[in-house]
Amino acid sequence: MTLFRTLRRWQLLLLLASLGVPIVLMLWKPYVLIEGLQRGGLYAVIALPMALILGVVGIINLAHGEFMMLGAYFAYWMGVYAGLDPLVAMIPAVVAFALLGAITYVLTIRRALKAPELNQLLLTFGMAMVGTEFANLMWTSQPLKPHLSYVYSSVALGKLRFGTYAFIYTAAAIVLLVLLQLFLRKTRLGRAALAVGQNPRGARLVGIDVNRTYLLIFSVSIALVGALGAMFLTRHSVFPSAGSPFTMKSFCLIAMAGIGNLPGVVWGGFGLGIAEALVSSFRGYGGWADVVFFAVLVAVIMGKSYRRQTA
Amino acid sequence: MLAVAKLNHYYGKAHVLRDVSLDVGTESVGVFGPNGAGKTTLVHAIVGLVRPRSGDVTFDGRSLLRLPTHEVIRSGVALVPQERELFPYMSVRANLESGAAYIPGARKDLPAALQASFEMFPILKVRARQLAGTLSGGEQRMLAIARAMMSSPKLLILDEPSLGLQPSLVTELFHKVRNLGERSAILMAEQNVRQSLKAVGRGYVIENGQIALEGPSDELLRNDHVRRAYLGL
Ligand SMILES: Nc1ncnc2c1ncn2[C@@H]1O[C@H](COP(=O)(O)OP(=O)(O)OP(=O)(O)O)[C@@H](O)[C@H]1O
Ligand SMILES: [Mg+2]
Repeated sequence: MTLFRTLRRWQLLLLLASLGVPIVLMLWKPYVLIEGLQRGGLYAVIALPMALILGVVGIINLAHGEFMMLGAYFAYWMGVYAGLDPLVAMIPAVVAFALLGAITYVLTIRRALKAPELNQLLLTFGMAMVGTEFANLMWTSQPLKPHLSYVYSSVALGKLRFGTYAFIYTAAAIVLLVLLQLFLRKTRLGRAALAVGQNPRGARLVGIDVNRTYLLIFSVSIALVGALGAMFLTRHSVFPSAGSPFTMKSFCLIAMAGIGNLPGVVWGGFGLGIAEALVSSFRGYGGWADVVFFAVLVAVIMGKSYRRQTA
Repeated sequence: MLAVAKLNHYYGKAHVLRDVSLDVGTESVGVFGPNGAGKTTLVHAIVGLVRPRSGDVTFDGRSLLRLPTHEVIRSGVALVPQERELFPYMSVRANLESGAAYIPGARKDLPAALQASFEMFPILKVRARQLAGTLSGGEQRMLAIARAMMSSPKLLILDEPSLGLQPSLVTELFHKVRNLGERSAILMAEQNVRQSLKAVGRGYVIENGQIALEGPSDELLRNDHVRRAYLGL
């Protein structure tokens, strides 16, 4: 499990493509580039905490999107009862979801760490169902959305006029990536987390408290995704099943990037966001956007295994 | 320093440690025995990687038996595991640093300890920036030993350190282990009885989970059973 690795040749190619494609797009279909970076930023930033859990704790958290959905509800009700803007509600959300993450870890995840992977999947899948049904019972399936005027801010560049607010997701993805990389490489706790992700027994043997590391990483990740739920709410409505597509997409991004490759998750998110936006930009083909997501996923995974066979 | 008393361990119904008792003072001690005798299980029980059913392990008068592994390590025991247990996607240097970074008392001496590792195994200095997972088996073995020494442990446990090393390196390794004995007490599980006996002062022979023989090295060297079963004489 690599939490970071040296740049490989195919990653260089990807880097070139990721520079070349935007330039072409900027000239040809600027809206696709803008929409893609915004959408891709949202996918990427939400996938990052899931990648952290998988890379360090080794658990595929199928309830990831549900934690985001609960975070969005949390922010919505913070708005209704305390008058907090969702972006401000991110702060109490961090605290509340760190706690929720810790409780979830202690009560469920910790007990399943040594269980077969299939059981772990079933466990987190079950948690996702519980989360969805809980939201359904508490708040019905009706979509909820606060009214926020600032999300409609836009700028005009020459003939180009576009919304700027959603770049918050693009920025959030990059900021979170940088912060996580700094944490993992520069702090003792982060390095311990990397060690635990690569070899838990080896980590114990150098004096790392593996259980505490798992608890910490799981809580931090849930805190992050809960707060991101609040950020999600600024542009999207929340309803009980709002989170599940994000579980799927996060998981796909991580599978594409390879476990532990956080920058890969972010580039992949932007790539897929742009691909989706491109398809949607052809009138009448909008419905194919989701198909593109999975088509790119299948292509990348097949390409990877092909390379492995020929390497 | 280390006292193991009447340790019993079972894997399911298999009784793999039977009333094992041994002592390590400040000297070097060997544990010899064939495959499956229970050597790895014994050292795992000492550092808390397996939980024995009965018996006790004390280190400097304190029982280790209920402690989680990381606390055993922080109390001054280091293990070079049979499977090495390195961090494959970290550089050699980062692996070495990890040996001291999480032990409160060892952190401040990290640069000196790193220097000492490179002196003990010069090849590690050459490979310092290479990922540990890309080292050869022998190089990984050296890295595992150096990583364990990074914390200047009071007791160093080595589980089959000579496994997979070329004969000339084995000789060199036991020579180094003997030198390490000046800095730490040593408990070494080995199958290569002939060579490792020269590196330790005292030895135990463990067979089917039981201590079959014990004594100073020169006595074991003269023992008929040891000569027949382990030295092929
Ligand atoms: N996790 C396990 N589950 C079940 N049985 C085990 C397990 N680990 C070891 N055993 C059994 O316990 C016995 C002792 O194993 P152990 O690894 O301690 O031997 P060893 O002396 O270290 O052997 P070797 O020299 O081959 O490393 C063996 O019979 C082995 O099959
Ligand atoms: Mg063994």
